[in-house]
Amino acid sequence: MKFILSFLLLSSCFVITNAQTEQSLPVDEQGKLIYYEVVNVKTPADSLKIRVLNYLKKQNKDLKFKSTQGDTAFIATGKMIINKTLLVMSHPSGEVLYDFQAEVKNGKYRFWLTNFSFIPYQRDRYANFVASTTVGIPLENNPGKLNAGEWKEYKVQTAKYAKDLASKFKFYMSSRTPIIALTTEKKVVKKEW
Amino acid sequence: MKIKLLLSTLALGLTSAVFAQDATPLQISGSVDTYYKYDFNKTGNIKTSFANEQNSVSLGMIDLALKKTTGKASFVGELSFGPRGQAQSIPDAAVDATSGSLSSFNIQNLYINYAFSDKFSMTAGYMGTFIGYEVISPVGNFNYSTSYLFTNGPFQNAGIKAAYAFSDKVSLMAGLFNDWNAYQDFNGVSHIGAQLTVSPVKGWTAYLNFLSGHSAGAAGTGTIYDLTTAYQVTDKFKLGLNAADYHVSGGNGGYTGVALYPQYAFTPSVALGLRGEYFKYNIPVVANPSVMSVTLSANIKAGGLTFIPEVRFDNDEDFSQSFVKSNLAPTKSASQFSLAAVYAF
Repeated sequence: MKFILSFLLLSSCFVITNAQTEQSLPVDEQGKLIYYEVVNVKTPADSLKIRVLNYLKKQNKDLKFKSTQGDTAFIATGKMIINKTLLVMSHPSGEVLYDFQAEVKNGKYRFWLTNFSFIPYQRDRYANFVASTTVGIPLENNPGKLNAGEWKEYKVQTAKYAKDLASKFKFYMSSRTPIIALTTEKKVVKKEW
Repeated sequence: MKIKLLLSTLALGLTSAVFAQDATPLQISGSVDTYYKYDFNKTGNIKTSFANEQNSVSLGMIDLALKKTTGKASFVGELSFGPRGQAQSIPDAAVDATSGSLSSFNIQNLYINYAFSDKFSMTAGYMGTFIGYEVISPVGNFNYSTSYLFTNGPFQNAGIKAAYAFSDKVSLMAGLFNDWNAYQDFNGVSHIGAQLTVSPVKGWTAYLNFLSGHSAGAAGTGTIYDLTTAYQVTDKFKLGLNAADYHVSGGNGGYTGVALYPQYAFTPSVALGLRGEYFKYNIPVVANPSVMSVTLSANIKAGGLTFIPEVRFDNDEDFSQSFVKSNLAPTKSASQFSLAAVYAF
């Protein structure tokens, strides 16, 4: 009896854990899925700017720094892999491309992930999973009845990924370690001496 | 006691699975396919690879692939069982040279890869061929029936190859290979091959392929030049092309052909695709017989399942394909309908 109770308890933990993650992202004014957060900090805009730039430039190829807008807005593009998981086995079933933007002001910053588009993977001749197309399908699109279940899973995984990325980004931005500005290479001028 | 043990194991397994998601898992994937084909001349006229059985609910194969990556090293092992993966594929892994016993399974891929850097990697083992547009696995093809170019070209190549990516747009592969579709090469590693990959614009990739060598027992050196390309023109329209020329030295055979693959996706779940092919044999003595083929297929997807209804019309001016009418009189044309179900996991 104890064993059966233990089994039910552990199984319910599993169900609860899964249920907690089954949340999709909200939509913005244009109806696009978005992860949006404003964070208040006691840090001047200059330091925040350096931290954003450092963070984006330190990321691997899954989040690439693209450009700055003015002096306080930063744009990057990212990619996350959607995995089809069954217990400990899994394989990628597609990727979600997204835009990452951050803006800083004195004492606060905001950032958001949006423009999510899904690119399905297919298995190539070498049994590797590769993108089947280069044009993504906006994650807001209605997939129709046939793919509704899978599409919902893509949205859930995307929301989880966005939340994780936000946590990492906020942790980096709140880091107390001294932030060093990216230095440009010094040039020695020998003409005048 | 057994029930306790089973429940404990199951509960632990379920909870471990929650925490194991961050670990790099062993990838397990594969497919299962089955089909029904009806030839309008009531005989199995069209003899390209697979899906040949007339008026029968027939089997394709179950395909199982394992992949594991640890750091820079990875392996792939892929086996298939069933008619498509056994007797209809070349070679059958269980063919015994002395007893001639048949049909256990076919090795689709069995190789080890090491990525020395992001740009340079080497692979050794038995791999799906780098030549051509279509592949053995039905998951990799839009049409269920296969082209003459696929049927007459290599299926797989064992060998060792090195690949270098010059940029995101250009990469080169070169390697030494066994004879076509051979686990073991009895006349030494006899083929050289190369593949230049270019991606000039987003959505367009072209592969220029070359493979040459003298197979054991062949009348001459066979050389194949192949262009395989696909362009995702819009989010709905994709155009593919395959052109190949294969010649065996001394006028000892070969083929030339071209196939065009326009495909239109009405929704992410429903797409329609055409394959138009012209294929010509370079046969000594006979005046190069040719065949033309048009195949119209739909792909209707629901999760991992794809239904492929398909009609195909082949025209053989030179009677090289031995098409016959229902009364067995020779004819120049053949047509068929098929409905396939392919499940990928």
